Amino acid sequence: MSNTNRLFAVAIAVMAVALVFLMSTFESDTDRVEQLGQAIKCPVCQGESIGDSPAQMARDMMALVSQRVDEGASDQEIVDELLASYSGAVLLDPPASGSTLLLWLAPAVVLVVGVGVILWWRRNPTEATQPEVKEEKPRKLAPILFLAGSLAAIVVVAGFFVQDRDGPNTGAAAIDTDNLEEVSNETMEAVIAANADHPEVSGMRLALAERYFEVGDFSSAFPHYLEVAQSPDASDPQAVTALVRLGWMAWEGNREVDAAVGLFDEALAIDDTSATALFLKGQVLWCSATDLDEAASLFGRVLEDPTLESDTRSVVESDLDALNAGAACT
Amino acid sequence: MNSKALRWTGLGIAAIGVIFAVVLASRFGTNPGLVDSPLLGEPAPQFNLSPLEGGEPVALDSLQGDVVVLNFFASWCPECRAEHDDLVSTANAFEDQGVTFIQVAYQESPPASLDYLVTAGRAESTLYLADPGSRTAIAYGVFGIPETYFIDETGTVVGKIIGETDALTLGATIDAIKRGEDPGQKVTGSTQQSPDG
Repeated sequence: MSNTNRLFAVAIAVMAVALVFLMSTFESDTDRVEQLGQAIKCPVCQGESIGDSPAQMARDMMALVSQRVDEGASDQEIVDELLASYSGAVLLDPPASGSTLLLWLAPAVVLVVGVGVILWWRRNPTEATQPEVKEEKPRKLAPILFLAGSLAAIVVVAGFFVQDRDGPNTGAAAIDTDNLEEVSNETMEAVIAANADHPEVSGMRLALAERYFEVGDFSSAFPHYLEVAQSPDASDPQAVTALVRLGWMAWEGNREVDAAVGLFDEALAIDDTSATALFLKGQVLWCSATDLDEAASLFGRVLEDPTLESDTRSVVESDLDALNAGAACT
Repeated sequence: MNSKALRWTGLGIAAIGVIFAVVLASRFGTNPGLVDSPLLGEPAPQFNLSPLEGGEPVALDSLQGDVVVLNFFASWCPECRAEHDDLVSTANAFEDQGVTFIQVAYQESPPASLDYLVTAGRAESTLYLADPGSRTAIAYGVFGIPETYFIDETGTVVGKIIGETDALTLGATIDAIKRGEDPGQKVTGSTQQSPDG
């Protein structure tokens, strides 16, 4: 073979080797998408990659990966984007960090320990194989400790498994009328609207109506008081409170004496000792000059209540004195 | 092997076994769908989604300044159906209060979602949006539905509810955000991963 031919053959061989090398290292976009698809866990599946899962979500994620590859994103960029949304839960291989680092280190640790034990054994074959009668008790300790360790591990594992594997579950919040201080009027409106037929909703309705009433927002309070007053699920005290408030709003808002008195009477039909109903009915009868004797009688009945608070008692006594003196109501 | 070496080898293996078991058990006990969302405290992923009926897309950044309640739902999800009335009533109650409710249909065609909303009812102020290719669901790291995200006035994800929720939880969460608190993540029930269960 001439030198030229030899050079030519060498060049062909070099080119062939280079071509084979390039082909082996060349990675098409399709290969990259497939590789990423195998590395990314389908978030709606059980241990399947998005490349293997037939789930729609997996197909959508594969389409996203493919698009990002077409756009020139690196593998790390694509993975980082998914990690930003899903955290490490989206990777089939656990990250070599944090608590999963042990998974990666465990084989190496076991290997090192195993090799160390074998090497030690080979160096001390006599010592390793000879029975030692003198230290019989300590020799028995090792398997016992090993057994104890294993049992502890089993107990710990079992403890974790018997826990709720779905994590903390706060449950859907029930209607809690005991702790409404931090709940906004809007939230209470939403809860009431969503639970209009719930038998326990009257408490929240009344609490919300009272909020509106206290700031003088009668138009917002009115429908809730009315619902409570008409609800068969409302307790007697709740119904009395609602009727009394409605009566007072009828008087304060529109000076409707008959409507107000009628509502107070409905409240008194439920609880004829209701101090608020008796007092406010007396106020309306006095202020409207409809029936002053009845007004005085009602104030008197309020004062018969031994549980009346002192502040309220002095107000009623003051009003009764004014009424008896022929003064106009204030 | 002498007894001392044997004892220490046994102890070492037992100790490694216990540590390994504890770590593995702690990982097995965690449903990956319930890990704290990495989005909490981060800027909310932007989206530009069209209403189910079609028409002008809605961009998240156009709602900056509002508290945004972003719920992923579908008609095939029983938990979504169960919470629907509460979402409607809460959206109605917080209408004109600087709160925008958005419900994004998940893994469902717009006509199917619209049919469902005809019978289930809808809040007038809520935006019902389509998510072709699940791009927004992926951006938010949705594992199953219902999932509800809370975005504060600055556009930061501050809360997430996994599972069926109710008006009190929704409203109290909004109240907390308006007070400047970060409600964080709450699990209130199970979720559905796909129409097949």
